[in-house]
Amino acid sequence: MFDVNEFILKKAKELGFGDVVVLGYEMDRRQVRFANNEITVAKNWHERKVELFVELEKRVAGTSITELSEENIERTLETLLSNMKGMAPKEDYYGIAEGPFQYKDIPETFDKSIVELDEPNEYVERAINAALEEGAKRVAGVLYTDHNKLYLTTSNGVEAFEEGTGIEISVRAFIGDLESGHGTNSVRVLKKFDPESAGRKAGEIARMAQNPEQGPEGHFDVIFDPLAFANLLSYMSFMTSAYAAEAGFSFLVNKLGQKVASEAVTIKDVGNMPNGYGTRKFDDEGVPTRETTIIENGTFKTFLLNTSLAKKYGTETTANAGLIMPHAWNVVLEPGDWSKEELFSEVKRGIYITNVWYTRFQNYVAGDFSTIPRDGIFLVENGELKPIRNIRVSDNLQRILEGIKALGKESYHIHWWEVDTPVSTPYVLVEDVGITRATK
Amino acid sequence: MELLEFAVEKALEMGASYAEARYEEKNGTSLAMKNGNPEGLEVLAEKGIGVRVLVDGGMGFASTNVLTKESVAGAVKKAVKLAKAASKVRNEPIRFSEEDFHRVSYKVKMKKDFRDVSPEEKLEILRKIEEEVKATGVNVPMRYLMYSDQLWKKVFVNSEGAYVKSKIPRVSVTYNLVVFENGQMEQAPFVQRAFSGGLELIEKDEPWKWALKDVQALKRLIYEGKKPPEGKVDLVISPEVAGIAVHESVGHPYESDRIMGREAAQAGESFVKPHMLGERIGSEVVTVIEDPTIPNSWGFYLYDDEGVKARPRYLIKDGIITEFLTNREYAAKLGQRSNASARAINYNREPIVRMANTYLAPGDYSFEELIEDIKLGVYMVSFNEWNIDDRRYQQRYIGREAYLIENGEIKHPVRRPILEITTRALWSSVDAVGKEVEYYPGTCGKGEPGQGVPVWMGGAHARLRDIPLRRP
Repeated sequence: MFDVNEFILKKAKELGFGDVVVLGYEMDRRQVRFANNEITVAKNWHERKVELFVELEKRVAGTSITELSEENIERTLETLLSNMKGMAPKEDYYGIAEGPFQYKDIPETFDKSIVELDEPNEYVERAINAALEEGAKRVAGVLYTDHNKLYLTTSNGVEAFEEGTGIEISVRAFIGDLESGHGTNSVRVLKKFDPESAGRKAGEIARMAQNPEQGPEGHFDVIFDPLAFANLLSYMSFMTSAYAAEAGFSFLVNKLGQKVASEAVTIKDVGNMPNGYGTRKFDDEGVPTRETTIIENGTFKTFLLNTSLAKKYGTETTANAGLIMPHAWNVVLEPGDWSKEELFSEVKRGIYITNVWYTRFQNYVAGDFSTIPRDGIFLVENGELKPIRNIRVSDNLQRILEGIKALGKESYHIHWWEVDTPVSTPYVLVEDVGITRATK
Repeated sequence: MELLEFAVEKALEMGASYAEARYEEKNGTSLAMKNGNPEGLEVLAEKGIGVRVLVDGGMGFASTNVLTKESVAGAVKKAVKLAKAASKVRNEPIRFSEEDFHRVSYKVKMKKDFRDVSPEEKLEILRKIEEEVKATGVNVPMRYLMYSDQLWKKVFVNSEGAYVKSKIPRVSVTYNLVVFENGQMEQAPFVQRAFSGGLELIEKDEPWKWALKDVQALKRLIYEGKKPPEGKVDLVISPEVAGIAVHESVGHPYESDRIMGREAAQAGESFVKPHMLGERIGSEVVTVIEDPTIPNSWGFYLYDDEGVKARPRYLIKDGIITEFLTNREYAAKLGQRSNASARAINYNREPIVRMANTYLAPGDYSFEELIEDIKLGVYMVSFNEWNIDDRRYQQRYIGREAYLIENGEIKHPVRRPILEITTRALWSSVDAVGKEVEYYPGTCGKGEPGQGVPVWMGGAHARLRDIPLRRP
């Protein structure tokens, strides 16, 4: 597709555009959905498109082109040009990265055997069976395989290519109406794929969650399963973008250099993480991805930036373009040194939350939010687990980070429907979490 | 569309017992303005074809945006292959309900066609919001404004004789405003105004007036807001709050694919079971209607994405559960006809059971009559935080703009009253409903991969008795 990129770049230059970024995609994606222990639908997507970003005297515009004929490309560029000429400039636009760059291959991001995989249904059956063996009655979920090719060309000397694969499964197991558990597994190479682990975990939690009683309200020490904490960190990842901060969607605004979490907390974005579901070799302007420490031992160090926003704030890009909106690739909460058993025995009377969803904010800038546990929830009393139901976490995101008391030593890489930005996190023990429930 | 006929015929040739092909094309522009700075122009231009088939009782779906015969044939081949393989991991074959199909074409007209308006002129709408907000003198340090227009063209063909062509323009304005006054900060996030139709609908709606009202209400809340009353009080909810409540706790749990477990991963199941049709779930004054056919509505359509003709659905009538939302697969399971709830957000998504425009039907109370006998209560005008469990039974809505009601009169603003309640208790507590209906737009999330579809939510004011309100 580089010939298409080159053509677009040449035409854009002829028309007088300044910065130009052309990002071509070829995507093959497959899905198998299942519910009630059977496959409900199987899908395949084949897509080819070019995402185009152009600048004209500080006016910026973006579009995607799917019909890649020369006529359509020229027509698209001319339409953009005529639309942009009359527009007011984006005064705080400061350009794109100067290339070229050197790129390193990132281990475990491409596997030919995923491309060649003919029939993934056996993995689905293995996951379903693993959950049923744990005692589940109904199993639902989704399996994806991914194969992507990216072709990046910019007016600042970048030409970059990347080919990636992935396979992932998300499994939800049920016993009755009120007893369920959830497990996921997301990897980039086939030999690391373990669908049974997702099925087993879902089935095991469902089994433990049988006959739940109405949960209590008040303030409790809460152990968040990696699945549950990944949800909060995924929402938080958006708030680490400088763009979100400017737009009024971040509790981190005006807190650079300040304490925003307990000493135990170090949170990074790792764009070049081997086997990471969000891993990319380069960002959307061609800067090689890297590890960026967002929060170090509780202190907020940096927002995620692209070149333009970095220049605006007199600093360096963190390689997180998004040409308009920088975003995280893989969020990593650094693990601690607690074993899972030690974590659970630390809690005299608390709650273990295995999964949450529907995280919503009353006030993004203050960080006030609530989220709802789904799947097994347990009262933890002197090491024993008693299933409960119908509670809600009602708290503040910064307070949750400040309340982190202990972190498990093992990290889990989570990516599913509710965790859009992949997150690696251990089990997390948070003190004094606000818990509410319906009053009528 | 020859390619669609070709796809359907090809699928039947390859052994499909049912086939459908859907072409979708979306064109439009979006603009954003952040703290007075234009963020640039985004031009949307995409099109493609999705093919869905049944083979041996298994379902397959494939899509492509490469619109050649070879590529479409490739998609058909993949869909058939996937369906065949899926059929082997099924307990029983998928069947569709019998339906009447039509050859029809319909479109929503634009009085002011947004395709004839320059981006700069569209940016003026956002500028007007900026100016009106600034003119209040209220300190609003963070202002994020968005404008979007899209023209959706669709052609649907299936192997049972359906041909549905439609053209629906959609236009919206969204804002996030953060008010900082007196050392305190309050926010109106993701407030949207949205319609099916031309730019004239936004101009008539005047989103800058909504922004102005929000900013002034938040300022007043900061200076005059007090704690809401605790314990059991009466609560009057506005059409906006009634809208989110009917969407979350009536619309979603009445989706038949949820009820039957198909959506267990990821959006969840439902507390409602098939045998609950005919059971009481609310008081006699509660009627909830789901109607895709409301002219110029954000969720508008006349035929669903399985080619079935749309009509209003009465989910709750006089407090009784009367109808679920169905597509052909789950209508067949329930022994019914589909009520045209199948929607796909784009060519590359399968149609699944969705809402369109859900509202609490009007009663016969004026607003004054609703509040006149309330000794102590709260009037919740708008909300920010909300959520509900995945069986749709335990929900919570927190007021953004809200007021104390005392001896039948609206008094000072109250801060963040929290309604945290079960679905049955919520709808059983309603004892009176207002006369006037209003609608508010939203993007409903469901599907794997996600399919955010445009919906309206709304209704009339409602009075709830003896509600244990919470404070933050």
